[in-house]
Formats: sequence, structure tokens, C-alpha cells
Amino acid sequence: MGKATVIPFGPQHPVLPEPLHLDLVVEDEKVIEAIPQIGFVHRGLEKLVETRDYNQFIYVAERICGICAFGHSMGYAETVERLMGVEIPTRAEYLRVIWHELSRIHSHILWMGLAADAFGFESLFMHCWRLRERVLDIFEKTTGGRVIFSVVKVGGVVRDIDKLQFNEIKRVLEGIKHDYNQLCKAFLKDTSVKNRTVGVGYISHEDALDLSMVGPFARASSVNNDSRCLGNGGYKFLSDFQPIMDGQGDCYARVKVRALEVLQSIDIIEEMIAKIPEGDIAVPVKGSPADGAESSNVVEQPRGECYYYARGNGSKYLERMRMRTPTSQNLGGMTKVLAGCDLADVNMIVLTIDPCISCTER
Amino acid sequence: MTVQTEYLITAIDGIPEMSKKRKAEGWRFVQLMAVNTEEGIDLIYSFMKDGVLQNNKIEHVMKTDVIPSITDDFFAAFVFENEVHDLFGVDIRGIAIDFGGNFYALAQSEPMTIISPAQKAAREKARAAAIAKAERAKKAAAANAAYVMDHPGAKPARKADDGLIKPSTEGFEEKLKGMDPEKVARVRAAMAAKARKAAVANAEFVEGKKSVEEDEKAAKEAALEAKLKDMDPEKAAKVRAAMAAKAAKEAAAAEGNDAKEGE
Repeated sequence: MGKATVIPFGPQHPVLPEPLHLDLVVEDEKVIEAIPQIGFVHRGLEKLVETRDYNQFIYVAERICGICAFGHSMGYAETVERLMGVEIPTRAEYLRVIWHELSRIHSHILWMGLAADAFGFESLFMHCWRLRERVLDIFEKTTGGRVIFSVVKVGGVVRDIDKLQFNEIKRVLEGIKHDYNQLCKAFLKDTSVKNRTVGVGYISHEDALDLSMVGPFARASSVNNDSRCLGNGGYKFLSDFQPIMDGQGDCYARVKVRALEVLQSIDIIEEMIAKIPEGDIAVPVKGSPADGAESSNVVEQPRGECYYYARGNGSKYLERMRMRTPTSQNLGGMTKVLAGCDLADVNMIVLTIDPCISCTER
Repeated sequence: MTVQTEYLITAIDGIPEMSKKRKAEGWRFVQLMAVNTEEGIDLIYSFMKDGVLQNNKIEHVMKTDVIPSITDDFFAAFVFENEVHDLFGVDIRGIAIDFGGNFYALAQSEPMTIISPAQKAAREKARAAAIAKAERAKKAAAANAAYVMDHPGAKPARKADDGLIKPSTEGFEEKLKGMDPEKVARVRAAMAAKARKAAVANAEFVEGKKSVEEDEKAAKEAALEAKLKDMDPEKAAKVRAAMAAKAAKEAAAAEGNDAKEGE
């Protein structure tokens, strides 16, 4: 038994795009304990709700994170709509699901690129990000933005997608599907990739339940916390939705869940495009949330379930807006999964959890 | 199906029991948050099970109160307990990983408890608006009760804002789309008859309202004349002149308003 040493990991580290710090207590090459710390760039966006009215705050909400931008604006809008008892048009619900699933595709492909870069597969990283560009092009054509879209408003959406654009989306997604299947082969069948992921960072089904984990991190341990199953918003129109699950609980299972979720998202978008009804895309919203009125909501972001809470005070400013992001929920699971791993596997394990610190530091 | 949200009130002493019960019943911890209010800090613990999102609310927690940690049952809560401690100054004891106030690097302590001038102004405005609304409603109810007392035969006030019947046509055309044409014609005829009936009722209502107002005005004028007759003629003339000036001023003001609206 070696002497216990504390190795600081982050907040500046080549594998981490954002500031996350881990105190790794190691004995020889084994990590025996890991204590995560965030809070280096806390922005206080929840406090900003006091000086932005409920229509303006949607632009703050989507700036919480550059990858989940659409999900945050949608989650915020849905929560305020619940608070004020607003029912949005069906077409707007369909459009929100289409853009949200496109966000999931680009988030997962971005993550796959980062993972490939972390285990030293540079060309795979480049292929992933090249593919992601095509999804961003769809966003640019349909919303005008590539990262921040500003298409959601309280009461619906501000832009429609016409038939020609839908045909274009279907054509691009068909092309992405073909190229993506080639990438999946590298992630799921390549020996050099499997050497870094199979059996690494295992977390059991019981532990995943016990630690209230969310997102693909939980689904890779057979825990179904996918809030799309609840049928919120436009997800109620899906004919059959079965979340992607895997019982292996290791890094490979987490890669597999995300890889298959991209294909599932493409199927969801195709179904939504086939079924989208004609009609209005927004309803006018007047008045202010009542004093003391409160509402809460959950939305399945690419990284997992995000919780939203809003409380009104009778004015156009909200009394409180809260977003609990999936990464802060998964920090407990991260400490558990890192305990007992090899020091060299820490970066791979942290990446497969896909922590988003900008979401967490809202 | 959509997520069902419920709110339950819990006392500070009930937190350990609530946490143990939730754990035993298989609830998943979703989050812990705080809301700063004038009466204290509200803590909200959220749990989810089978599509039901239950929020346990602990109201009006003071900074002197000691809150027990729930990390023994739900380890994932350590992040939120540290957050609530750093941002709101809530004293939570027994956190599994306690950062002792150093979880967030903040420029000032307990920033979420500072009531900004903007928030204060919004609260005051909303409060004033709520009081004014309640006053208006109270006055209207009193006036209505007085009117009913004075006019026992009068019909009660209608529910709609302006007292008029508005037949609903919302979603009407959409409903008719898939129907048998014969049935559609019958429905349209019935709707037209209903609209005619509503128009007649509305006309009667407006007429009735007008005549009641005219009667009231005439009665008022008669009462004033009777009062003036009993007065000293010089004083009565002065009162009449003042009343005429007031009426002229009101007419000028109304004209001015019309012109402003026209602009």
C-alpha cells in the first residue's frame, strides 16, 4: 500500500474545456477518493431575473449554455407558460421538438469529437465536428443563428419552417445518418477505442438509482430518468418513444447510449416533420404572473434532465427563476465512479459523464 | 400525459423524517433550492417518482435556524446544500462534502438575499396594484348591493365584463370541418339563431341600463331643485352658477380628451 497523495486535477486541464476542479486522493496509481469543486465562474444569471421581465429573460436563459441553448429557452418558456396558464399552438410544440432534437444531435456529436480527442484519435475528432457543422447549417437556415437561436418566446415560437426547408432538413439528415453510421463503427467496434472504454468507470444500477443520476450517464446503468417519456410539450405527439438504455454501466455503455440517441433523434425529427399540422406558431400572451404563483417543470436536455422553477410576484418581473442543470445533479455520481479507478482513466471517465460547467455555473 | 407537480408544506423538524420516507418509498432526489422572501427564506426540496414531481416546501426559514442535511439519504444533495449555504446563508449542518462556504467564488457573501432596488420597486408596484384591485372590487360589490337594495325588481348584474352576452365561436370552424354537410347546416342555423337571441338580449340590456341611468339622473336633479327651493335665493343662484361652471369645465375636459384620442 502506497502513501496517499492528493493530486489536483483542473480547473485548467487539457481534457477539460471548462473549469472543473477535482481533488484526487491517489495511492500508487489508484484513485481512492475524488472531491469535485465548481464555482470558479459563477455568473448569477438567476439573480438577473429581477431586472429582466419575463419576455426578456428568455434571451438570458438561452445564454446559460452554448450547446443546450435551445433546451434552456424552451424549458424556461414552458415553465412561464405553465405559470400563466398559456396553451401554445400545436405547430409551435412540434417545431420546438424538432429544434430540440437537432440540438441533441449536435451536442452528442460534439461530445463524441471531444471524447475522440481525449483518447488521442484526432482524425475521428475532426470527422465528428465536420458532421456537426451540417447540423449547425440547418440551424442557420431555419433560425438565423448557429449557437444562439432566439426562436422561442413565451406563447410559442417566432419563426416557422416551410415545406421546402423541411425537405432540405430531411435530405441533410439522411446524409448525416449515412456518414454517422461510419463514425459509430469506429466508436463502438474499434479496438483502440474499446481499450479505453470497456470496463472503465463502472457504476452499478443500484448506485445510479441511489445517487439520483440523470441523462445518458444514468441510462447507461439501466436507469430510465428520461423526462421525454413524461410526454411534456410536443413529445406527447410521438407515437412510440422508448429511451435508449444499456446495463453495462461503463464508459463504453455511455458512449453507446449517446451514439444511438443521435439516430433516435433523427427518427424523432422525421416523425415530427411527417406529422406536423398547419396552423399558428404563437399565441399572444398578456398580463403578468400572479403574486405567489409558482410552477415547476422538467426538460430532457442532451446531458440529462433539467429542472425549472418560476415564481411570480404580480409584476412582469419574476420573483425567482431556478434552473437545476443535469451536471450539478451528476456530480454525486462522478465522485462515486472516480473512486477506485486508475489515474490514467480519470479524463475518460469525466468526459463520458459530459459535464457542462457553463450550465452549472448559471 | 405530462409531469404532475405537487407542493407540500413541511416543517424544519420534519426534514429528516421526510428524507427517510422519500428514500424508503423509492423517490428520486431532483433538487434543492431557496427563494428569498420578506418573511424569510423558503426551501424547496423536489422529488420525483412515476412522473409525479413533488416539492416539499419549508417556509420562512431564518438565518438563525439550523437545517439538517439530507445527504445521508440523498448524496447528490451535497451540491445544492453547499449552494444554498453560499448564496442564501442558510445554515445547513452535516453535509457529506461540506465546503464550509467556499463552494462558489463570490464577490460578496449571500448575494441572493440582497433585495435589489428593481426587485423592491416591482414588489411594491405589484402590491399597490393588488390593493387597488381589491378596493375596486369591494367598491363595486358595495355599489351593486346598494343598487339591489334600492331596486328590488332589478335583474342581477351579468357575469361578463361589460354585461353583454358573447356567443363563443372559438374552434367552431375546425369542429365543423369533418362533419356531415347536413349536420353542418343545422349547426350553423342553430348558431345564427343563438346569435340573434343574444343580440336582442344585449339590446334590451343596453336599453335597460340607459333608462335606469336616465331615471337616476332625473331623480337626482329633482332632489337638487327641491333643495335649492328651500334655500336663500341669493345662495341658490350662487350654487346654480357654480354648478353651471363645473358642467362647462367637465364638457371642455371631455372634448379635450376626445381630441387627444383623435390625434
